Amino acid sequence: MASTTEPTTLKREEEEEEDSKPAADDEDTGAQVAPIVKLQEVAVTTGEENEDVLLDLKSKLYRFDKEGNQWKERGVGTVKLLKHKETGKVRLVMRQNKTLKICANHLVLPTMTVQEHQGNDKSCVWHAADFADGELKEETFCIRFASVENCKAFKDKIEEITESLAKDSGESEEAKTAASLIEKLSVEGKDKEEKKEAEEAPLASEGKKDDDEKQEEKSGDGK
Amino acid sequence: MALPNQQTVEYPSFKLVIVGDGGTGKTTFVKRHLTGEFEKKYEPTIGVEVHPLDFFTNCGKIRFYCWDTAGQEKFGGLRDDTSNIHGQCAIIMFDVTARLTYKNVPTWHRDLCRVCENIPIVLCGNKVDVKNRQVKAKQVTFHRKKNLQYYEISAKSNYNFEKPFLYLARKLAGDPNLHFVESPALAPPEVQIDLAAQQQHEAELAAAASQPLPDDDDEAFD
Repeated sequence: MASTTEPTTLKREEEEEEDSKPAADDEDTGAQVAPIVKLQEVAVTTGEENEDVLLDLKSKLYRFDKEGNQWKERGVGTVKLLKHKETGKVRLVMRQNKTLKICANHLVLPTMTVQEHQGNDKSCVWHAADFADGELKEETFCIRFASVENCKAFKDKIEEITESLAKDSGESEEAKTAASLIEKLSVEGKDKEEKKEAEEAPLASEGKKDDDEKQEEKSGDGK
Repeated sequence: MALPNQQTVEYPSFKLVIVGDGGTGKTTFVKRHLTGEFEKKYEPTIGVEVHPLDFFTNCGKIRFYCWDTAGQEKFGGLRDDTSNIHGQCAIIMFDVTARLTYKNVPTWHRDLCRVCENIPIVLCGNKVDVKNRQVKAKQVTFHRKKNLQYYEISAKSNYNFEKPFLYLARKLAGDPNLHFVESPALAPPEVQIDLAAQQQHEAELAAAASQPLPDDDDEAFD
């Protein structure tokens, strides 16, 4: 195999002075060749002109390969959360370093949930209909950050966005009922209980959601 | 130039031939650019595989049709019946951890020049992320003799991974200031998710969340 290193040669190699970088990295030693096309400079559009940057972090992105049951690298670069100035829509866009190609481009929907990855506090996972290649593809993503803080900042920001989206898109009937219920209780209840109920009520509905998710996790875990 | 089995595009496209010994990382390098993934498993390329690879530059979108050839002679590289690949530019790849792959560079260069005269060629020393190199940077001299451009690259760490394409694009367009720019991030369309699909996604997500990352170490990002 080409990649095998011969142990016998190692010693000699190490004795040689370390000079891993060429004198001039970008020195052009190539022959003069006639160009075959003439290109005109064009205006560059990032597609992000009408958006505000909510978050901008260096990261490494992976997509889940269902067939191989493994994560595959998608790119190393900058992940951004962008909010459109007029529509208010928020999307996640990630570009590869150096080539600036898009590795992820999808809307942040109220249904989007970012979850833990293997208890690792520098990475997290989510699912999205991704538009990176110009066509919608269902993808499961994992993103890894350089620090725990950055990962938390990312998760918190997404959560903040999805919560506010859920609110904006009009409260569901259930939520409305729950809200009016809380209102009643707090009006009727005593001072002490008032505070307690108001805190507990929204948690109760979240708890229900968690239970549903756990059940799904179990059913999806079968090997 | 007519390209068999390839759709033509309305923007400039170039035929790029990639040659070099088997196992030097030609396919891995192309795949890295195509999908972002880093394939560790070695599966020799049979014959030739052609992949379109687009880049956005300050002079618009361009495409390289990458002719990823078999490095192993028994699988028919350039030396065989595919020897009539007329590339408009080329990459010769060797592996800095395997001296023989560098020794064979002149042969690849000769075979290439037999069919393609006066095309821009980049010599790439791949796998520079590996600690114990057999070919040090200063030992690489072939490019000076033959007027090739040389880059030390790592398909694994992405070190200089964009340089070969950037160099070739600049030469083909005769524009030393050409550079890569952000590709336009189009607005993703609205999607309607029904409950059943959502539940399936969540199940898949839970399964995926239990799988480790391929390179789950604490390496820094550049």
